[in-house]
Amino acid sequence: MSEAERSSLQMLMAGLAHEVNTPLGAIRSNRDVLQRAVNRLSDILADEVVDETEIDQIRDLVKTIGEVIDVDQVAVDVISGLVASVRDCWRTDLATLRPVDLHEGLESTLLLLRHELKHRIEVVREYGELPVVECYPSQVNQVFMNLILNASQAISGPGTITIRTYRRDDRVAVEISDTGAGIAPEDLERIFDAGFTTKGTKSGMGLGLRICREIIESHGGGIEVESTVGKGSTFRILLPIEQRAGASRT
Amino acid sequence: MSEEQKATILIVDDEEMVTTALRSFLQLATSYRILTYTTPREALQAVDDEFIDVVIADFLMPEMDGIAFLKAVRERRPEATRILLTGYADKENAIRAINEAGLYYYLEKPWDNDHLQVVIRNGVERAALFREIEIKAGELESAHDDLAGLRKRLIQAFV
Repeated sequence: MSEAERSSLQMLMAGLAHEVNTPLGAIRSNRDVLQRAVNRLSDILADEVVDETEIDQIRDLVKTIGEVIDVDQVAVDVISGLVASVRDCWRTDLATLRPVDLHEGLESTLLLLRHELKHRIEVVREYGELPVVECYPSQVNQVFMNLILNASQAISGPGTITIRTYRRDDRVAVEISDTGAGIAPEDLERIFDAGFTTKGTKSGMGLGLRICREIIESHGGGIEVESTVGKGSTFRILLPIEQRAGASRT
Repeated sequence: MSEEQKATILIVDDEEMVTTALRSFLQLATSYRILTYTTPREALQAVDDEFIDVVIADFLMPEMDGIAFLKAVRERRPEATRILLTGYADKENAIRAINEAGLYYYLEKPWDNDHLQVVIRNGVERAALFREIEIKAGELESAHDDLAGLRKRLIQAFV
């Protein structure tokens, strides 16, 4: 694993830890609340006689128990969703060539990047009708992750990332547009070169655009980029719907 | 029920599961009045309108972060005790919060309820002492004014 990949993974894991700590905080607190509520109910019911005020207390306790159980359900769903998205992105069976719903891959990727995006970036989905696409999903998801992370880092402060998908003859297109800084014309030719970065050493970018292009080209597709300085960039991935027999395998 | 006074605790977190969990706990274990909000804007409105003893704010929220929010609370109600509840420890932000928002305590998620209760109890006491000092200082000031007035009248009458 390269230095850049490691640092992008570290950033992702820190974000995930943060995302998990919120529902975990709720669950941990609720467990304590349930314990206290049950103790209090036992105390009340320990007496032979239960009077009117105690009935009211029991009602309040039962209401609280119901509320925290509902919160726990939401919290567990959030954690399960995060775990599923991690699994979806790195599942070993996704390393094989198979028919894939690209929207699923995009959604898993967005969920993993929620911490990076939320509060700062609005994600607009303009999904078209896509057929299932024959590809190596783990590789294609890595490309999505890199391009969306790039888009996010190109935007300083609040902005918008638009993800557009559509079919073009026997290929599908996934466009990722940002309202970020844009790329200077003289850099535009070099962005797919190994080691090219404008981000300094701190923000590791995972695979880098060069490997993104390698992945897409090994699928018989291509990456195009359009950019205006000060307005933003659009990266367009084009993938064939079906892989021809004997297509290159990486 | 506990012996605590009816102090008011304001909680703001954009995740409703956190505000509900905190409210459920505090209602069960204390007799404080609990106000919960999921946006900093609504919470600031409440800070303007209500007497608040302790404010607990999430760090990452839309509109404004917890530090900016607590800074705004400090300007409106300097006596209110300010606590930041954050998803992960970050030294840089902790220092920023202490300097910019006059932070009283920095709590991490997942939090411990017993610990939280102690922090809030101390925060309520701190806010009460702050108010008492304000009242006493005011009394001292008006006593001083009375004395100055009396002295002026004495001088006018006898000199």
